[in-house]
Amino acid sequence: MVRVKYVERPDLTNTERIFFIDFIKGMKITIKNFFKKTITTAYPFEKLTPPKRFRGAHGHRVKNGKEPPSFKVLEKFMEINEGESRCVACYMCQQACPVPELFKIEAVQLPNGKKKVLRFDMNLMNCMYCGLCTEACPVDCIIHTDIYETATYHRAGGVAHLEDLSKRAEDFDRRRFNEPDRIWIDDEERSKLWGQIKWS
Amino acid sequence: MEILGTVIGITIKSLIFIVGMFLAAAYLTLVERKFAGHVQQRPGPLHVGYHGLLQPIADALKVLTKEDLVPDNADKFLFYLASLLAFVPSIMILAVVPFGEPFEIFGFTIYPYISDVNVGLLLALAFGSISLYGVIFAGWASNSKYPMIGGLRKAAVLIGYEVALGFAIAGPIMQAGTFSLKGIVEAQQGLWFIIPNILAFVVIIFAVLAETGRTPFDVQEAEAELVGGYVTEYSAMKFGLFPLAEWYIATFVLSAITVILFFGGWNPLPLLGWLPIPGMVWFFLKLFAVFMFFLWVHWTLPRYRVDQITELAWKVMLPLALANIFIVAIWIMIFG
Repeated sequence: MVRVKYVERPDLTNTERIFFIDFIKGMKITIKNFFKKTITTAYPFEKLTPPKRFRGAHGHRVKNGKEPPSFKVLEKFMEINEGESRCVACYMCQQACPVPELFKIEAVQLPNGKKKVLRFDMNLMNCMYCGLCTEACPVDCIIHTDIYETATYHRAGGVAHLEDLSKRAEDFDRRRFNEPDRIWIDDEERSKLWGQIKWS
Repeated sequence: MEILGTVIGITIKSLIFIVGMFLAAAYLTLVERKFAGHVQQRPGPLHVGYHGLLQPIADALKVLTKEDLVPDNADKFLFYLASLLAFVPSIMILAVVPFGEPFEIFGFTIYPYISDVNVGLLLALAFGSISLYGVIFAGWASNSKYPMIGGLRKAAVLIGYEVALGFAIAGPIMQAGTFSLKGIVEAQQGLWFIIPNILAFVVIIFAVLAETGRTPFDVQEAEAELVGGYVTEYSAMKFGLFPLAEWYIATFVLSAITVILFFGGWNPLPLLGWLPIPGMVWFFLKLFAVFMFFLWVHWTLPRYRVDQITELAWKVMLPLALANIFIVAIWIMIFG
């Protein structure tokens, strides 16, 4: 049962009422802020690096020898060369997705009996960047990168294809794969890597 | 012939005043945006010109080149009239505001005011009241819910504060013995009228904030509740005239009247009279300080409800104004 505690609204004293003490308190705060330094980032000229766990545009990790053990099991059934996306077309990401229509995944069986992923399109226009697909992936293939500038001039530009995804993940891994995984900015590691951000 | 010369002189002077006021208003927008930005710890306009110095020009170009939309079901005549009715009277107050004493340049005596009417203060109040009809007409003519509510709210607030304002200016008038703004300034050579009239000053601050629609009393605009209040249906320059008139020109001119009534107009600050600073500079310094005070209040306080404003106006400000008249009367009886 929810207990509700009723609290009386504190009444103003007469001194406060006559001399507008609360107004003066508020105006003291604004004038203090006026003389403080601004805390904004001049965005197009100056860009902050997001944390590594930032949920930016998606990427596909490629087959490069750093796969998890689960990929080793599936590898022999797949037609994947070194440097290609390690997607095994298991549709787990689509199953996990709240908006499954944004995925278009197609795979075929080659004459030699192996499976080949022909198509992996994601319409990022419909994506809410919740990150469920990256958690569902059994081979650590689909990931979030730290790229957040995804605007394009045409709606078709919002659709990410297999090659774009692999390129994006390769770029991301080259820059930040070895960086330790941390949560948020108070970390010492983060401040050592690109300096402590001064918030106020 | 003499009349012709006077007419030409006054026309030229009016043009100078109006153009100057336009430019000043444009740059007051920059001052306000910079101030608002820094109060919220952001820099404000930054990239058009050095630290946003050309931003007002860019804004003016933008507002002037926008498409001018008029709603189909609007009352067209009132809709057009409203934006002008808000703008023109507030700039007409300038006709009676003196900015300094007459001075001589190259043998010409230059009067830094358009006219010195002996009922100047009443005229200023009258023009200020007329400009509010712009807001109310805009609310009615738009034929839409939000502007209508905005206009009605403004009307409700108007009834409240006009009475208090009328009584509040009685104090300085009693002391100066004249309605002429120039006469009021000249009566303050010794002691400024702020000393016995401190209550009237509080009432005037309240009335100016309510008349110009600045924040504690900006119920007619209330962008969080009423989308944009009475300007919801306006676009392009018809829209631009409203904030220009209310937030900048009216605030500027009413700050000037506040300075004239209470802070000695172009008289120098006490104990600083020996400085070689002309009267007009003193006047503009005081004017700017009062203007910045209004901005400061605007960007600090949250909004009152309409019923709270009318309550404040009738129950607090009107008695204060009456008490002020009583105090000033006793002051005059004692000190002459």
